Amino acid sequence: MTLNLLEAATVLQAGEPTGVTTRATQMTTVDEVLVARAKAGNEAALEALFRHFEVPVYTLARRLTRTSHDAEDVLQETFLEVVRSIGRFRGDGSFEGWIRRVAASKALMKLRRQASRAPEEDLSEELADAVAAERAHGIAAIATAPERLDLQAALARLPDTARVVIWLHDVEGYSHDEIAAMAGKTASFSKSQLARAHARLREMLAPRLEGPCT
Amino acid sequence: MHLSLEDLLAVRDGDATVDAVAHAESCPQCGAEIERLRAIQGRLAALPEQRPADDIWPSLRAELTARVQRRRWALAGWAAACVAAAFTLVIAVRGGLESWHEAQLVRETKVLVAASQQLEQRLRTHGGAGRVVNGRTADTIVQLEDRIAVVDAQLGRVGPERAQSQDVLELWQERVRLLDALVSVQTTRTAYVGL
Repeated sequence: MTLNLLEAATVLQAGEPTGVTTRATQMTTVDEVLVARAKAGNEAALEALFRHFEVPVYTLARRLTRTSHDAEDVLQETFLEVVRSIGRFRGDGSFEGWIRRVAASKALMKLRRQASRAPEEDLSEELADAVAAERAHGIAAIATAPERLDLQAALARLPDTARVVIWLHDVEGYSHDEIAAMAGKTASFSKSQLARAHARLREMLAPRLEGPCT
Repeated sequence: MHLSLEDLLAVRDGDATVDAVAHAESCPQCGAEIERLRAIQGRLAALPEQRPADDIWPSLRAELTARVQRRRWALAGWAAACVAAAFTLVIAVRGGLESWHEAQLVRETKVLVAASQQLEQRLRTHGGAGRVVNGRTADTIVQLEDRIAVVDAQLGRVGPERAQSQDVLELWQERVRLLDALVSVQTTRTAYVGL
């Protein structure tokens, strides 16, 4: 995982993801008065905001990070950042979008710290093989089969980069350009990682690959 | 030749080339695969929300409180240092003291200023970042801090002519006593949580 967090922070401050935001739209809007009270340092308002966003932020963190413990850390770091920076929230975008950006940023920072200490198991060769097999065998190789693994478990087993890219792109609605900026890579890198993530998911969910397309 | 997975995803996301889109529209297998990719996307978005195992609000609130305290102590420490510096300056300027009593006052006050600074250093060390504070302890801490702030305000109003008076000595004694109590509360809390 080689995410460029300085660039990530820049991107994350820029606004909401440009794509279709599936998960974010499920969240209820938060009362502007509550945000204003929290800005003024009202502890009850801060707790109300925390209670409002606790589950969605934790869920997002849990999808991006490796363990539930990591996700709890991200949840705490996110709200500390929210308290520290809420005065600078101008209300240009939605509060929900802003807080999700902060959470994603914190999760990426945690992954980066972990990568620098203990790199994840390198599955790139395995993934490359899977993609190569798909390209060689054509579309029949991706035919559906009985699911071996639950989708959530399969997602958790993806390498960090692939998991982050598929979640940010397919669920949070980030564009490849935005993800590329966050990762310090190119849009092609993001597209490649998205394809790898889907290939790996398919491999885990549909183990019985059929023969080549004729 | 069918579309690659990257091309299929590009068609799904509306980013594909005209040729890729045309192929997808004419190829039932690629069309079906794109639908499958859409279904996976939908299933990912529909995964159930997850809830943290523990309620982290208490520790979060304690950390926020600790941050406020650290800021207050940074300010209080700076103010006290200014008062002490002014006091020392006055003594230095005045030079020779007129009586043994005045000299004694100065010595005692100097000792108290030094003790006060040491206690503040200990408070910064035992600031309690991220540790849980019960309501009674938090109330005690706030009361002690408020009383120290009152003493600091009184010391701040002391003019050069009263720099080595009995009143000032008593104010420093009160400040040291309150700081000592605050250190005791913080140290006990730290020992209690095993940190």
